[in-house]
Amino acid sequence: MIKSKITLMQYIFLIHGVQMGVGVLTLPRELAENSGTDGWIAIIICWFLSIAASLVIIQIMKKYPNGTILDLLSHYFGKWIGKASHVIFALYFALLANVIFIREALFIQAWILPRTEIYIFILLLSIPSYLIVRKDISILGRYSELIFFMTLWIIIIYFIPLKHANWLHLLPLVKEGWEPILNTVKTSIFSFIGFEIAFFLYPFLQRKEKASMGIVIANTISLLAFLMITIGAFVFYSPDEITQYKEPTINILKVVEFQFIERLEIVFLSIYLFVISTTVLPLMFMTVFCTSQLAGKQDHKRHLFWFLLVECMFVVLFPPTYERNTILQQYIQQIGLILAFGLPLCLWGYVWLHGLFKRRAMQ
Amino acid sequence: MLFSRRYSKKPSPSQQFNDFVHQGQISSDLMENITEIQSVFCDTPDLIIRSLVIKQTQSQAVLVYLSSIADSKSIFNHVLHPLLFEDGQDINTEALNVSLGHIKKATSWQQIERAILNGACILFVEKQTEAYIYDTPDFPKRAIEDTTIESSLTGAHIGFTETGSENIALIRKQIHNRELKIKEITVGKRGQLQLSILYLADVANPDVLRELEYRIQKVNVDSVLNAGVLAEYIEDNPYSPFPQLLLTERPDYAAAEILQGRFVTVVDRSPSVIIGPVTFDSFFKTIDDYSSRWMVASFIRLMRYFGFIIAIFLPATYIAIITFHFEVIPLKLLLSIGSSREQIPFPPYIEAFIMELTLEMLREAGIRLPAKIGQTVGIVGGIVIGQAAVEAGIVSNIMVIVVALTAVASFIIPNYEMGSAIRIVRFPMMILASFFGFIGIIVGFMILLAHFIELESLGTPYGSPIAPLKISDWKDLFIRFPQWAIERRPLGTKAIQMKKANANHQKGDQQ
Repeated sequence: MIKSKITLMQYIFLIHGVQMGVGVLTLPRELAENSGTDGWIAIIICWFLSIAASLVIIQIMKKYPNGTILDLLSHYFGKWIGKASHVIFALYFALLANVIFIREALFIQAWILPRTEIYIFILLLSIPSYLIVRKDISILGRYSELIFFMTLWIIIIYFIPLKHANWLHLLPLVKEGWEPILNTVKTSIFSFIGFEIAFFLYPFLQRKEKASMGIVIANTISLLAFLMITIGAFVFYSPDEITQYKEPTINILKVVEFQFIERLEIVFLSIYLFVISTTVLPLMFMTVFCTSQLAGKQDHKRHLFWFLLVECMFVVLFPPTYERNTILQQYIQQIGLILAFGLPLCLWGYVWLHGLFKRRAMQ
Repeated sequence: MLFSRRYSKKPSPSQQFNDFVHQGQISSDLMENITEIQSVFCDTPDLIIRSLVIKQTQSQAVLVYLSSIADSKSIFNHVLHPLLFEDGQDINTEALNVSLGHIKKATSWQQIERAILNGACILFVEKQTEAYIYDTPDFPKRAIEDTTIESSLTGAHIGFTETGSENIALIRKQIHNRELKIKEITVGKRGQLQLSILYLADVANPDVLRELEYRIQKVNVDSVLNAGVLAEYIEDNPYSPFPQLLLTERPDYAAAEILQGRFVTVVDRSPSVIIGPVTFDSFFKTIDDYSSRWMVASFIRLMRYFGFIIAIFLPATYIAIITFHFEVIPLKLLLSIGSSREQIPFPPYIEAFIMELTLEMLREAGIRLPAKIGQTVGIVGGIVIGQAAVEAGIVSNIMVIVVALTAVASFIIPNYEMGSAIRIVRFPMMILASFFGFIGIIVGFMILLAHFIELESLGTPYGSPIAPLKISDWKDLFIRFPQWAIERRPLGTKAIQMKKANANHQKGDQQ
């Protein structure tokens, strides 16, 4: 049934790519608003939580290794729930892709080309998106893999502003108790959302016995990236200053200046579009994968075309603003929380009980 | 009604593809055969029909050949002379005593017709329904010379010629191995072209061979002019700017690729052979990379990839910065660019297009013109375009520098096809940059990557060691590791025998 395969590396970087996206640009501010410079501890807690949820996902998928979550739900709960899950997942991924896609365009407008309309960016970015997503998952895997290694050098630039760092900002640890940190978990957990695409990637994976290891590595790479960026921002800005910037991650780079280049952040954000594309493209793929499965078609090209067209129409008819996008993002993140953490847990319990009763019945 | 009209339409005779097959068998009557030959080859003054009596059997016979392409000397010495004067009493065989190595027998007119056109001479014997084909071709050919396009410092100074069999010999000279197999296919209805696929049977992947054979057999045309034409018929994606099959005129390079597990298609009458499947990085390698020391080779190879990036993105980046993002460059540089652009009446993209197109025209003119006039082009390009255009205030100095840099950067790519591809890709990038600045460049780059990732060469991934990532193949990618460190063939060729060397590098002063 499933022809194309992805390697372990591609699997890791697909998951990591979805986690690492536009959220990182605002993450230090959101953490600092809630728990000051202790926010980075919350990220580690979130990492534990997301690894637990990821491992549960892999455990569930092991019960039905040759199908995606959609096939699994149809298998256990019957055709109608299966169909409903197609719709739910398709809507979820579509909205998430939509939110991030528009946010990407908003960032471009705010930082790089302030006088160009949003829909032009969406139109422009739709072309490569269509070209990459129309093929099967292995092409997408190759893309994520390539982009990860191609943009790895950005980290080096990030170390340059650290010469202005004041490491005392981090001390004392846990200065206001654990309560604000635990409150921050609620916002920072969204950074890790994205590992739920493992529900769909698992059947495509070549060596399924490595799935658990792969998802842990993917989460850990994301953790390291988030930690580096947040700690970097915390020690660079003073604790009060950081909340004044919308995107502190980009603002840091304003101090970097070379002999041959000023305003590095413009170059950086342009290249960062690649990283954002590894978030948006898999989400788009999952959307059209769900809808084409629902329609019983192998080829998702046409669905993708319509999806992008609707996206463009949507942006033309309702010119997006940053505020509206943020509200929509908060809603979709709540759903994400349910699908990424709630669903695996419930499903695991059900599958476990199901197996238990089946064994009883057999005896 | 609509449907019936569409499907009932029959192709008119002029649209039908004539396949020129001459049906029928030869007859036992000599006169009948001669008439048939004369009717097939009418208006062919170089057709020689020589009647004779074979001394050995005392039977009537006729010898037929085309004097322009058959070797008359060997026909006289090795066919006519033995037949006419030697009685062959001492040999107890039925066969005619002709002192030639390659003798075939044919019964159908189709075979005979093809043999005559390939320079063979045909012997019809009275009361026999079989004709003898003596292979005596003598096509005009060129001597083996040094390579002209792909010159090399330390590699062999031998290039392929227009004779297919000689080209095969040049490859066989490099690989003395019985596993070197040759598959022959004929393509083209009218100008029948002999293709030979050379490969190592125990190394190369049979699936890829099947794919290659299938694609070549599907080519159903009148005539295939040369290797480039064939490559265009069998390549994977005709809408790609990148070449997906490598054409080379170097036997040593072709042999090296065979040893990697690839397939070399020798096309008769063409001085270059087709190598496939190839990956993107194949176009950035030369034979000199392997014969010079690894550090030098790696440095030059890195320069080529750098040149690739420069050639595609430098003019686009320049346009983007000047049009949209002038705050990105430092003030001093901005001022010097500004003062050089002060007098220029055009926006940067028009300036860039003028210069880039001029450069392309100069380059093309330099190739096509005879060497003596070619120098004039250089003078015109250097003085008129470079100097005068700047002084007249049509283009800025910086633009001339940018264009010159891109030109040099694109000339560093060793493969001509790939160099041309880069030059073409540059123009859409410039257009995107002039509309959307950096965002346009990034989107253009994404489109290029999307295309690069999904491209295939004979069904194997084109971007092989990069996307899909195959770390073990990186030993021979950007940095060429020392020869003793490369023990395996590249994964990108899907070879069935991976190991090609044993790690036996001598470290230090071992005994």
